Amino acid sequence: MSTKSIRIKRYLPEQADEAYWQRYEVPVDDSTSLLDALTHIKETLDSSLSYRWSCRMAICGSCGVMVNGMPKLGCKTFLRNYPADIRIEPLAHFPVRRDLMVDMEVFLEHLAAVKPYLIDTAAENTEPYRQTPTQLARYKQFANCINCGLCYSACPQFGLNPEFLGPAAIALAHRYNLDSRDQGKAQRMAELNRHEGVWSCTFVGFCSEVCPKHVDPAAAVNQGKVEAAKHTLIALFKG
Amino acid sequence: MKKSALRRQAYDEPLWWGLFSAGGVCFAVVVPAAILFLALLIPLGVVSLDAERARSLLFSLPGILFVGAVVCLPLFHAAHRIRHGLFDLRLGRDKPNKWLTYGGAALLSAVALGGVLLGMLQ
Repeated sequence: MSTKSIRIKRYLPEQADEAYWQRYEVPVDDSTSLLDALTHIKETLDSSLSYRWSCRMAICGSCGVMVNGMPKLGCKTFLRNYPADIRIEPLAHFPVRRDLMVDMEVFLEHLAAVKPYLIDTAAENTEPYRQTPTQLARYKQFANCINCGLCYSACPQFGLNPEFLGPAAIALAHRYNLDSRDQGKAQRMAELNRHEGVWSCTFVGFCSEVCPKHVDPAAAVNQGKVEAAKHTLIALFKG
Repeated sequence: MKKSALRRQAYDEPLWWGLFSAGGVCFAVVVPAAILFLALLIPLGVVSLDAERARSLLFSLPGILFVGAVVCLPLFHAAHRIRHGLFDLRLGRDKPNKWLTYGGAALLSAVALGGVLLGMLQ
């Protein structure tokens, strides 16, 4: 078993106003994930280190951090793929609470704004919903989002303007808009067709590159632009 | 609540995005062909085109379409990129930048199309 050097950007607001870098030597083998290394640091080297984690298998979306400047899930990142020196920072574009933990409030607000749930106007309907495999296939890809926020760290437009709804929220809106059981599209389009909705996206595409679940939010945003354009045309004719 | 959501709608953006998309296609397909003919094949003498024939080709209805595809739509494509580039570089504010970029594209388009129309009237 060899060791690798991990530099972590520490921020302890009760001790210092500024963040600082701290280096740790961690034992690694071929199966050591970044999350394993952070756990090793926390348990044996420095119990003051703070980071979020839960499932250890890329489902909960808690352990997102910047690895050498790229947004990654700690549990899905293996140290064997990195050189001896590894830089770990909290997710970019979010306010840092402490060490590797960021404040995701604005992200959660954007998610809630697009009403990411089935909206059924026929509320008295007590029958179970039926859906064909073809209807399922239309939105299934966009339903794989785990709300890890990596796409927000990748998105330069969210970095410039945190009011931008952002990749995950727009992908989730698109997911429900494409669902045959849903009737809430008109409500969501009002949110998507804002300057801070789909129109803030400049199709950089980095969100889709970093997505650990291959949701392809960039495709959702740009299909959302077509939908927003249709929404505008319809609004124009209706007056 | 509903009213304020409606007030914030970006009804102009689909227009800019549509012009940007159409301009992108023209930039990729029509502009290279125009450069190939006008800047390479004709000066090299591979294709012959005298001034009289060029004038009659340009000052016609297809000439208007040609100028629209080679000048106007690419101008709006460029304007959209410059506007978003300015926002990325944090230069100016978006609203005046929109007037500047799309206004510039509209002005130059009007000059180009006006030139063709003037030629047609002569």
